[in-house]
Amino acid sequence: MAADRDAGDESGMIGRPLPRKEDDPLLRGLGVFIDDIQEPPGTLHAVFVMSTRAHANVVAVDIAEAAQAEGVVAVYTGKDLAGRIKPITADIPQPGYQPVNRAVLATDRVRFVGEAVAVVIAENRYLAEDAAELVRVDYEELPSVIDVDQATGPDAPRLHEGTRDNVLFQASYRTANVETVFASADHIVRDTFQSHRLAVVAIEPRGCMAVYQRRNDSLTLWSSTQLPHTVRTAIANLLDWDETRLRVVAPDVGGGFGGKCSVYPEELIVSFLARELNAPVKWICDRREDLMTTTQGREYRFDVALAFKRDGTLLGAKAKIDCNIGAYPSFPLGASVEAGGAAIYLPGAYRMGEYAYETRAITTTTCPSGVYRAVAAPVASLATESLMDRAARELGLDPAEIRRKNVLLPSDLPYTNAVGMRYSTGSFATCLERALAHADYVGFRRTQTDNRLRDGKLHGIGMANVIEHTGQGTLRYRQRGIIYVPGFDGAQVKVEPNGRAIAWVSQCTQGQGHLTAFAQIVAHELGLGMDDVTVIEGDTAFGPYGTGTFASRGAVIAGGATLRASTRVADKIRRIAGHALNVSAGDLKLADGRVYLSGTSEVSMSIREVAAIAHSMDARALPESDSFGLEATEYYDPAATPTSNAAHVAQVSIDPATGLVTVVNYVVAHDCGRVINPLIVEGQVHGAVVQGLSSVLSEAMRYDETGQPITVSLMDYLIATAADAPDITVLHEESWSPDTAGGFKGVGEGGVIGVLPAVANAIADALVPFGCKINRLPLLPQAIVALMGSRSAGSLEDIHNP
Amino acid sequence: MPQRHKIELTVNGKKLQRLVEPRLLLSDFLRYELRLTGTHVGCAHGVCGACTVSINGSTARSCLTFAVQMDGAVIETVESLAPRGPLSLIQQAFHEHHALQCGFCTPGFLLSTREFLARYPDPSDETVRMALRGHICRCTGYVNIVRAVRAAAAKLKEERTGHGS
Amino acid sequence: MKPSRFEYFSPASTSEAVEILASYQGRARLLAGGQSLVPLLNFRIITPEALIDLSRCRGLDEIRSEGSVLVLGSMVRQSTAETSEIVRTCCPLITATMPFLGPSPIRNRGTIGGSLAHADRVAELPAVAVALGAIMIAEGPKRRREIPAREFFLGDLTTALASEEMLREVRFPISSDGERFAFVEATNRHHDLALVAVALKLVLNAGRCEQAAIAVVGVGPKPLRLPASEGCLVGKRLDAATVLAAAQLSTEGIEFESDVHTPASYRRHVLPSLVERALRQAASNAHGNDR
Repeated sequence: MAADRDAGDESGMIGRPLPRKEDDPLLRGLGVFIDDIQEPPGTLHAVFVMSTRAHANVVAVDIAEAAQAEGVVAVYTGKDLAGRIKPITADIPQPGYQPVNRAVLATDRVRFVGEAVAVVIAENRYLAEDAAELVRVDYEELPSVIDVDQATGPDAPRLHEGTRDNVLFQASYRTANVETVFASADHIVRDTFQSHRLAVVAIEPRGCMAVYQRRNDSLTLWSSTQLPHTVRTAIANLLDWDETRLRVVAPDVGGGFGGKCSVYPEELIVSFLARELNAPVKWICDRREDLMTTTQGREYRFDVALAFKRDGTLLGAKAKIDCNIGAYPSFPLGASVEAGGAAIYLPGAYRMGEYAYETRAITTTTCPSGVYRAVAAPVASLATESLMDRAARELGLDPAEIRRKNVLLPSDLPYTNAVGMRYSTGSFATCLERALAHADYVGFRRTQTDNRLRDGKLHGIGMANVIEHTGQGTLRYRQRGIIYVPGFDGAQVKVEPNGRAIAWVSQCTQGQGHLTAFAQIVAHELGLGMDDVTVIEGDTAFGPYGTGTFASRGAVIAGGATLRASTRVADKIRRIAGHALNVSAGDLKLADGRVYLSGTSEVSMSIREVAAIAHSMDARALPESDSFGLEATEYYDPAATPTSNAAHVAQVSIDPATGLVTVVNYVVAHDCGRVINPLIVEGQVHGAVVQGLSSVLSEAMRYDETGQPITVSLMDYLIATAADAPDITVLHEESWSPDTAGGFKGVGEGGVIGVLPAVANAIADALVPFGCKINRLPLLPQAIVALMGSRSAGSLEDIHNP
Repeated sequence: MPQRHKIELTVNGKKLQRLVEPRLLLSDFLRYELRLTGTHVGCAHGVCGACTVSINGSTARSCLTFAVQMDGAVIETVESLAPRGPLSLIQQAFHEHHALQCGFCTPGFLLSTREFLARYPDPSDETVRMALRGHICRCTGYVNIVRAVRAAAAKLKEERTGHGS
Repeated sequence: MKPSRFEYFSPASTSEAVEILASYQGRARLLAGGQSLVPLLNFRIITPEALIDLSRCRGLDEIRSEGSVLVLGSMVRQSTAETSEIVRTCCPLITATMPFLGPSPIRNRGTIGGSLAHADRVAELPAVAVALGAIMIAEGPKRRREIPAREFFLGDLTTALASEEMLREVRFPISSDGERFAFVEATNRHHDLALVAVALKLVLNAGRCEQAAIAVVGVGPKPLRLPASEGCLVGKRLDAATVLAAAQLSTEGIEFESDVHTPASYRRHVLPSLVERALRQAASNAHGNDR
């Protein structure tokens, strides 16, 4: 299905670097985030009593004292809610999948520190916290398992009833000739890569507020979420409520990144309580709770081998992947999303025919994981790209050379990779060359010394080629068994009698600029100015049903729906105007708020006049074939998964005395198909790169051996600041997708995928004199020092006087 | 039950009086009592910077301050930068350079930027990055924030001196 | 993360402050800048029955030089100390260290005395106080007393202050001509909290080191001087060999400690380089005129 291209209208809004419509209220402090919404009178505040044990039977929960505390209205335990709210289950119909239940409040067993066992509802948060401290829980401790080896060991406790073991999903695959290829390969490189668990840490933590209306037994849940429709359907299903009486609204949301991409117990409980108590109920996650309960990610072990010919041609890959998915799978994406995605991503942007993988998702007594930005792709890419650099060194090739040998060329496209993912268009080789050139790779290598020292620092350069599966639609989610994610989105575009347009879009935004980008699409199609278009998202009461904003699907799917709906409205405008002007609709163009006959300015009318006719508020009548109103609703589902690509080149310097790594230069050549707003695209790339960078250099969510989380404040969980981040150059390429309306591809996550391997490779390059292998993250100074090996103080002289 | 204390303070130019419980955080006082919700709470332990306001002319974390300490204080929040009419120069620079995405951390950045540029009118990128390290942003990667601050510095200089650099 | 309940006092004098403090018998806390204390309250790691705000106590925010001593009242804000000309002229090591104490909003409220009395094991000011040989003036209900910096820091978040005492002011010897100084640290991120930090003061005479004071934080629960390194410098010129030798001796006699984040081996590894870096920095700056 070809992209819907407009007939060469270069003066349109799509493609323009317009500053955002979102900005003004946000800059003035007038944003309305979940905790800013005016609380209705009588709003009660919920605080959850969290388990202090990683794995334990809950023997008793004594709420008597808490229930009597000042300002407390009610206290509920898991037993109170068990019959009223069904457990959360993501029953993914995939072979190798074992579904498990998650009670919204623990009843008889807790499986991670932070799991809620009771909820206190009081007049304000301060009093609720006071009362929560008075809840006494008797635990009978059970053995905790904190990593995949413990959870699959011979003595591992089975964490969930009804399962065979703690491997909640496994899959394997092999192409026909992978063993032959490995047996006959000239060169094989292999290593085990371990990435540390991460917390998402959107600067705004989660939260929700439920307002119940007894008048018609209806409820509105405000929630800082990435998927309002899914939350609504889940409330209806799990509380046995009428979905038509439910409304879920995502207000301004302060970042999501996948941490707000699940249906959480708190949303269900707060909704239940509001109706039960006939009062608004609000819960705001504080940072400590956030670091303990918001879905985490990226604790993966990749055991990967790559097979090469002597000349550096990549022949095949084998991977054994274990993912620690924490105590419970998340809903709707389930236990298989990380392990499945990990395996799919490994071939990356390279030509590689043979591939075998085994992948597992393993439950442990740690915080549940979810879909943190780019999920497993960054670590898969880390493995492939690190091994590629090593193979290059061992085969006597430059790392850029080995990439050139294997990266997909225009002549390879369309390319179907070893796991059946089809890449229709892309600019892999071009991006690689542009990024290398801009980073002056050749110049860097020319002046690079064997000992890597310059001005007392160790310098290195690293690269990565990125592929990103964006805008996955209904087919792809069904193939993956993720049936609770619809996969489509919709847009209702409406021109009001005053000639201005509203678009209600079924997604929502956490900062990605939808209100601007989608307005650009509408304005482009309808010939309106940006001030005459308003985009509204995030409210299930308005507009069509949809999936939500995650997995880089905004531009592709919501953009596609908005484009389709706008095109239909534009067609109707032309029909009405053609009828009124007595010309052929096909000869009419829309621009500057007017409809005009192509080639002349004499014959035209304003879109406002057309709107008046459509609403029967004009002397002129509609054409007979058309009904009243000027709107269209379109759902969109892309024919195939568009793939974006990029090349990243990172340059680092390392202080050899302290091990502190500085990223001194960063270049991304990026192709997300047809660009709607280059400013927004660059912003997404910048943010993704720095978020990923932070996970390479300093972030680690850590647990002690009993399963207690150690990093439960931002003083312990270290996030990159402006002082750590480099300037980033983004070079644009545009390979339009032939598979999506508009030719758009997605952009939200690719930046993360490339930065792990690019920076790790740059560090490995800087540390070549030390002969070490990089296969663990994060690379804190202490890790760098350890990699450099133990050096006696005498060598300080070597470092400072080369 | 601890005594409530009377405080008299000025917030965004307006004098007011309230009775507050000692443990009421300034961030909560501003947000819930005065409905000035532009100041955001991202961590409640002084690290993320989203709660930054100006107390007696200097930036400070409102999550690490109690309202009861503010008797006699003069407080400015992000809402004071452009209460009506056009955006301030720094806000405008953030807008033009796409230096905000979700906007949650932005108010803190704006107040710190204002203080920083008043003291260091001609900063380098490196100085800007070091000065603003007390604000975590997860969306922008800081790149455009640094560009916006540099642009604002240039514009402020132009305003002051009457000609561009 | 809301604090538990407490009473609040805002006395106008230090004598009133310590009287209230004594009356709570260890169950009250003094509130200086709050940048270290309030996070502990918000996490409910501590739950004092009362907070005694020192910000309105007369005379606690003074900066003055008295003879050979620079006196900083305990409530002097860190940012005030940073830009104070008196501080810069009298004790440039203090001025040089201030930017390391955190970003501006923290330094605007954080105080000199608050940081010292809190005695976090990686705080910067304790290293400076020990390197400069500062004297802490403690005030209790009945008396004031002097506590030398070396005896003030006892361990993690623990000082020699009795439960009814407060830190009233800190006296630093005023730097003489020929004095050199430096502050360096190793961090996990750029311009971050210290993992290990070194503060040093040298007195040079005709190019030779007459006195050396090197203090380190982050290797154990309290600041340490480095007598072996100091001894190695005295009487010598600050040439590369001497600097290296002093650096190599820096780990002598120290029982490096790990914590949940950073192993002892890293602290041991990084200390010599920090000492070397600090000495090189000190060698290249001069306070006043060289003698």
